[in-house]
Amino acid sequence: MIIFDKVTKEYNGTLSVPNGHAKRGGNQGNNFIFRALDGVDLEIKDNEFVSIIGPSGAGKSTLLKMLIREEAPSEGKVLVDKINVTDLADSQIPFLRRKIGTIFQDFKLLSSKTAWENVAFALEVVGAGPDQIEDDVSKVLRIVGMEGKSQNFPHQLSGGEKQRIAVARALVHRPKILLADEPTGNLDLLNTYDVIKLLMKINEFGTTVVLASHNREVVNSAGRRVITMDKGRVVKDQEQGKYAI
Amino acid sequence: MEFNKQNLIRVIESGWVNFKRNSWLAFGTVGIMVLALLIFAGLVAFNVVSKTAINSLEEKVDVTAYLKTDVSDGEAQDVAKIIGEISGISYVNYISRDQALEDFKKRHQAEELIQQAILELGENPLQASLEIKAVDSREYASLVSFLEKSSFSGLIDKIDFYENQTVISRIQKISSGLKAGGILVTLILSVIAVLITFNTVRLTIYSQKQEIEIMRLVGASNWHIRGPFVVEGAIYGIIAGLAVLIIFYPIVYLTSPRIQAFIPSVNLTAYFTGFFGQMLILVFSLGITLGVVSSVIAVRRYLKI
Repeated sequence: MIIFDKVTKEYNGTLSVPNGHAKRGGNQGNNFIFRALDGVDLEIKDNEFVSIIGPSGAGKSTLLKMLIREEAPSEGKVLVDKINVTDLADSQIPFLRRKIGTIFQDFKLLSSKTAWENVAFALEVVGAGPDQIEDDVSKVLRIVGMEGKSQNFPHQLSGGEKQRIAVARALVHRPKILLADEPTGNLDLLNTYDVIKLLMKINEFGTTVVLASHNREVVNSAGRRVITMDKGRVVKDQEQGKYAI
Repeated sequence: MEFNKQNLIRVIESGWVNFKRNSWLAFGTVGIMVLALLIFAGLVAFNVVSKTAINSLEEKVDVTAYLKTDVSDGEAQDVAKIIGEISGISYVNYISRDQALEDFKKRHQAEELIQQAILELGENPLQASLEIKAVDSREYASLVSFLEKSSFSGLIDKIDFYENQTVISRIQKISSGLKAGGILVTLILSVIAVLITFNTVRLTIYSQKQEIEIMRLVGASNWHIRGPFVVEGAIYGIIAGLAVLIIFYPIVYLTSPRIQAFIPSVNLTAYFTGFFGQMLILVFSLGITLGVVSSVIAVRRYLKI
């Protein structure tokens, strides 16, 4: 269960950005406040598949970053499995992140490790044994169709292949929650469809999936709950949504 | 992540793999560490040379009091005994007239002209003498004034300290200068070496800043991230230490005869062969400490969660 309780995120900056971008916040002299999230209230139940849509800069990524405490809210509370993520001590943050699998828009693979090692790293982090790592990594690489390139380094892989490795890494430790931030942003149609199918399959096995995207095909092919965001606010929340902006 | 055997092995493996894959960066870092460690080793060698040289020079300094020719053996022995009891005197050696002649003859064995001249002279022209050596070369000045004012000053013909006086004070100056300078140079060079090494390791790790960030996002604990870097730093240190020993010992072996020709009492090869174990421990522990400490500080900067 994920709960956002009146979450607001503000960034302070100096006025080097054109005025239009800062119009959401107050503008005082040279300093302005950029409000990425503006009082977001949201509840995501266990085992849900939720798509968050909206134009670039609507606050989708910021929302996901809150869940792994990459960002902390300026106001409000974020609860993941009844734990207030906002108050989490620094030493507890790794434990939160191990419960959540994240697929990043820019993949965020470890460039000095092979595909296999990248996936294995997520298991090493949770303290899995060598046998389990051997088994699970091979299995997950087979699921994402990358068993043939497991010894390649990220720079030897195409965008779609990198994304599959990123998906494999997010899955391999069987997280309760899977966050996907534009997981198909860099992929062609065919690869996109594969990734979405994969996410839905994972969801069937009992993992909560939160998918942020501005891709119409992606959201419509999922055909599940759709939360529409704009200018840092939730503007629409539909149980059986369609992409409509 | 708790600290257990499996994780330890994993961290060491991971550090070793990083080291192999970063071979170019690693080469640069190890190179800098080798330079730093060579400076340390060089300073050790320099200290050995200067210390032995000063000791051997100081040992050569003594005061010789020549006794008048009419002083009997017994009187001379008494004087020797009195001087020997003064504190700060390491020994007094009485050389009788006969002994002096004997030594003189021996020294000039090959020179027939001198041998003949002595024979023709008929009597012994040499004086008996007292060779006096002090523990500290600074004592000699007061020793001489003591001898001049003493009750047996009438027995002494001349004291040849004055001829040595300039040499003695010069050695003292050089000796204390070298000691102070050596400490200063050691301090400055060590600070420079540590800073350069630290900076190089920091740059190596800086190039992996993004990797560290990603590891954090995937939920790796600080220990899990830092461990491989620390192991990598230790490997740098071990390899640098090995390289230093491989470079340093041949240099010592080659330069030692030259230095020995200059200062006969300094045998660097013997010294460093004798202290091989200590050098090994010193070089490796310095290298490993340098690598590990640099890594720990450098990674810490990028581990703010």
